[in-house]
Amino acid sequence: MNQWIAALRSERIKLGHSRILLLAVIDPLLCVLIGLTAGMEKGDWMGLLLAMSLIHAMFFLPMLTGIFSAFVCRYEHEGGGWKQILSLPISRPALYLAKLLVAAGALALAQILFAISVVLVGLYQGFDLSLIPWELFATRLLGGFAACLPLAALQLFVSTMWSSFAAPLVLNMVFTVPNILIVNSATVGPYYPWAQPMLAMMQSNIDYNFGAFNLPTQSLMITVGASFLLFLTAGLMYFNRKPV
Amino acid sequence: MTDMMIETRNLMKKYKGTRAVDALNLAIPQGEIYGFLGPNGAGKTTTIRMLLGLIKPDSGVVQIFGKDLRKDRLQILRRVGSLVEYPSYYGHLNAIENLETIRRILNVPKSRIHEVLATVGLTKDAKRVVKGYSLGMKQRLGIATALLGSPELLILDEPTNGLDPSGILEIRELIKKMPKEQGITVLVSSHLLSEVEQMASSVGIVNQGRMIFQDSMPNLQRKAGSEIYIALSDAEAGVVTARELGCFPRLDDGRLVFKGLDNGQIARLVAALVDARHSIYRVEERRKSLEDLFLTMTGSGGAETDISRIDAGHGAPRAVGLRREAAQ
Repeated sequence: MNQWIAALRSERIKLGHSRILLLAVIDPLLCVLIGLTAGMEKGDWMGLLLAMSLIHAMFFLPMLTGIFSAFVCRYEHEGGGWKQILSLPISRPALYLAKLLVAAGALALAQILFAISVVLVGLYQGFDLSLIPWELFATRLLGGFAACLPLAALQLFVSTMWSSFAAPLVLNMVFTVPNILIVNSATVGPYYPWAQPMLAMMQSNIDYNFGAFNLPTQSLMITVGASFLLFLTAGLMYFNRKPV
Repeated sequence: MTDMMIETRNLMKKYKGTRAVDALNLAIPQGEIYGFLGPNGAGKTTTIRMLLGLIKPDSGVVQIFGKDLRKDRLQILRRVGSLVEYPSYYGHLNAIENLETIRRILNVPKSRIHEVLATVGLTKDAKRVVKGYSLGMKQRLGIATALLGSPELLILDEPTNGLDPSGILEIRELIKKMPKEQGITVLVSSHLLSEVEQMASSVGIVNQGRMIFQDSMPNLQRKAGSEIYIALSDAEAGVVTARELGCFPRLDDGRLVFKGLDNGQIARLVAALVDARHSIYRVEERRKSLEDLFLTMTGSGGAETDISRIDAGHGAPRAVGLRREAAQ
């Protein structure tokens, strides 16, 4: 546990001068534009959330997940840092989990900023703050964040396997683009890590009642949890044995 | 007698069927600067990576501080500082921040950062981004990183590789100070005999993954043997003078060549030659090169395969050339 916190604090410094977290700001800013032009009926908070979630959950969240997961390995790939850091008195799982947590933290930041931007757009358009369906909002936003975690674990696995910053990103991009088709399938959609954020944020409502969107939240979350454990275990096992 | 800092037994690592490291027994006593010598591709880096637990040996045991690396890896690594192959660094951070990332894992006081920067002479450039450092500075930062945790054992893999002569000198002086000032045992690998000769107190030579010599530096020097070349006005008359003193030189291009002379013999010889009215132009000592040493140590049969393997591309002419040298 101490090792893990030490590794986390060490990762913190490496993020220091990078502008990577700016990406977590750009995403909600673009979603604000969509929210402002969506022309929602006054007071339709859920409608606004859905409208703004479309690009955010379908495209930005999976992309950001891939970028953050690759980014936490980037400096080790570049400067030959794996040899150095793995010669230190720190266990490999502790280091791996620290990196995963940094990526998850950056995603949480993006999701929080997104939530704030939804509320601000609503207020700007004169929606009544007291009418926000908090419980639904929280389920969608937390669910969306949780649904990024299997992908984060998978992308971190790939990022430690390939000594490159760009290659995992290309892979991520290639698998993100078909999202729009894959959510139509109730059989494949829930198991497709790149589509899970979108399903979690937009499922079973009046506008989206086709394909994989029809699944109950609970069964989607079970799939999310199971795939997270699967990818995390595979990644940890690989990293623990990886020759450096 | 078990004051060994590093001890390996029958260490073996295979890559695609060939043994990069084979039956390797390292024994490094405390307080030594151990020169780990061998040509490129001899298995030095592979061995060092096994010592640090970066790769797992296919068989054999590594003991550091008398503990088994497989069982007490983290405890051992806490007391080891290392620099493997080329220096590792985070280019977008300055030297202090680079060391801080490591310090947080080692959990040593912040003051250590400035101490190690002073040790390697980087205090002035500490706030510059490392991307802009010269190779020598990066290498010194690497050594600073290795020293950060106040290690008892320092493992440096080719620390002078790619440096200019003044950089090499600086690093060498730095390494030589370690056992004296801080009681640190040092393992330093190199492919240059001259390099190791100038800093190591004991030496291990590997070739094709096998240890072919392991002893103290003076013993290696004795084994390598040196020859004294004397260039003078009349070499043939000089031979007669030398014989009168009981030295039997061979002639080489107008020079007398002696084997195994001590200081007293050289002094008497030079005095006698001067007395005999010779003009003495040069008295020089020539060491055998690392290649020659390998030939002597591995025997001619082994040497032939050695050379052809080292220089696979244009092996034939080089092997012939070396054999001719050896035959001289």
